[in-house]
Amino acid sequence: MKAPAFDYQRPRDLAAAAAALRGASGNAKLLAGGQSLLPMLNLRLARPGILVDISRIEELRGIEDRGDALRIGAAVTHAELEDRPLAGGAMLREVAHGIAYRSVRNRGTIAGSMAHADPAADWPLALAVLGATLIVDGAQGRRTMPAGDFMQGPFTTRLADGDIIIAVDVPKLSRGARFGYYKFCRKTGEFPEASAAAVFDPETKQARLYVGALPGAPQPLDDLAYDLAERGLPALTEAAVDRAVAQIPNLEPIARRMQRAAVTRAVRQAFAA
Amino acid sequence: MTSIAFTVNGSPVEADVAPRTHLGDFLRDTRRLSGTHLGCEHGICGACTVLIDGKPARSCITLAVACEGREITTIEGFDDDAVMGELREAFTREHGLQCGFCTPGMLIASRDIVMRLPGADEQRIREELSGNLCRCTGYVGIVNAVSSVAAKRSAPAAETVARPALSVFTPQRRAATATVAAETKPAAETGTRQGWTQFDETFTIHQPRDKVWALFGDIPAVADCLPGAEVLSHDERAVKGRMTAKLGPIAATFAGSAAITRDPQTWSGTIAGAGSDGGSGSRTRGEIVYRLEDAMDGAATRVAVTVLYNLQGPLAQFSRSSIAQEFGRHLVSQFAANLNAKLGGAPAAASSSSAGSLNLGQLVWAVVKAQFRKLFGGR
Repeated sequence: MKAPAFDYQRPRDLAAAAAALRGASGNAKLLAGGQSLLPMLNLRLARPGILVDISRIEELRGIEDRGDALRIGAAVTHAELEDRPLAGGAMLREVAHGIAYRSVRNRGTIAGSMAHADPAADWPLALAVLGATLIVDGAQGRRTMPAGDFMQGPFTTRLADGDIIIAVDVPKLSRGARFGYYKFCRKTGEFPEASAAAVFDPETKQARLYVGALPGAPQPLDDLAYDLAERGLPALTEAAVDRAVAQIPNLEPIARRMQRAAVTRAVRQAFAA
Repeated sequence: MTSIAFTVNGSPVEADVAPRTHLGDFLRDTRRLSGTHLGCEHGICGACTVLIDGKPARSCITLAVACEGREITTIEGFDDDAVMGELREAFTREHGLQCGFCTPGMLIASRDIVMRLPGADEQRIREELSGNLCRCTGYVGIVNAVSSVAAKRSAPAAETVARPALSVFTPQRRAATATVAAETKPAAETGTRQGWTQFDETFTIHQPRDKVWALFGDIPAVADCLPGAEVLSHDERAVKGRMTAKLGPIAATFAGSAAITRDPQTWSGTIAGAGSDGGSGSRTRGEIVYRLEDAMDGAATRVAVTVLYNLQGPLAQFSRSSIAQEFGRHLVSQFAANLNAKLGGAPAAASSSSAGSLNLGQLVWAVVKAQFRKLFGGR
């Protein structure tokens, strides 16, 4: 249970981090909080040659109010989001609170979770349903990637070699907006076996519903979300939820049932007075 | 070795450490601070919890080199801490420990709870303690101890938020995403062999059956179509080799052997083998059964594959079975594409039953393939 040998670098700024990645020609792995990577290293499932620690780079550490969106620095920890009330960011706070355990949340970061791309993790689901956008820097320059199709499969994302996530832009929820977030965990803090998230915002006309903890990336259930926005809870029938969840391939029957329950509970949360 | 300087229990510490050394090992082995207990060493049990700049963290999944300039507090560093004094007394009074292995982590987590969440009720305390495992007490004594200390601190007034009900609206619609994937046969734990997982895939090769049959008998050619596979030695009945799987940060190379049987009468065969990954100590056993059927009036061949496998060790512990299945499906779809390419047929046509997973597979494979190339390029 000891990690294999690797080199360690802690670049001062983004430019130095990018240079470190370029210099390692594919053999480096970015380290932020390390709360997913270190277990994999200790189990010797991951064997990078160099770890490039970006957790202290100032450009990645801030939270900025940009009017209609919140810009969350890549290396902001779950605990910082759990503790900090942000106007229009109530869902971030609730989701952050539910991630693993406090001692993990104190170190784990929002963009680290996205880059790691565990299908059962919280941020890939929550940021997809919030319609967030990732800001990424790399050889192809600075560009944006929607959180909704960032994950391409288990532990696989759109990031190219050498890319660094700089920040996540999360659209603020309006005052009349409602959200729901439900996950089935065997034990509090463990990765869920099924999860669902819903956002309804009458002012910005956004209705989104996603399921997570699938074999691959979180999946949208757009038709059900639109129907719910237009008709409210009467649209939440067993048949409608069945139909929506039936679209997701490769689920065992028990997983399908749990996903149906997660969807129903997340939606009920959103519509609760 | 990397030079580091930080503070441990108020005293400055300077040392050279190997980057792979985690903070827990550093504290125990070089500072003789053995109050920090190492249980699972992968962030599950909480026994190794210490404070880093006043915040609880797991020292087994924190690198010592990443703590440069930080203030570390271990269980030995709370002698003069009033809150810890109260907790120690409460743990004693309420029988909050038996063997004591979890206690250093429990106390540090509990101190964080009572200071961060004054007046926390039992449910919240249990939730907050969920990251610290105790195998003796059943938690009742621990929770009572923490509750008694938390109760001395008053809770802040709860905010009451008036929430008008959600009003219905006409949502902005986005263009429909990829068409709904067809249902493929879900993988399932088989009733007959506990702990084994099975999945079925079908694909079509645009070549007559006898040609496909001949290729399936050519072991190096088959391995050539399977990303990550490498044959070390083989005869008609057995093969020895390696299989490298890489998914995100996970890399495993299973070395092993397999027995091969082929029945020309039924156009079917089996490959049954076992292997282990030296790096992680994971083991796998598995069986692949294939059957070739005529398709398109003999112009093409439908290949039905059943994969039955069992994964043990860290890899099984770490990844959920659905992820291993997804990976297996990608492998089969890539195998089909490569086989078609090798036989000079049209691109692999997915059978209707597995269109969804193949499409997803191809997407993912564009990325994963690049990683495979890197892997082999680096050798």
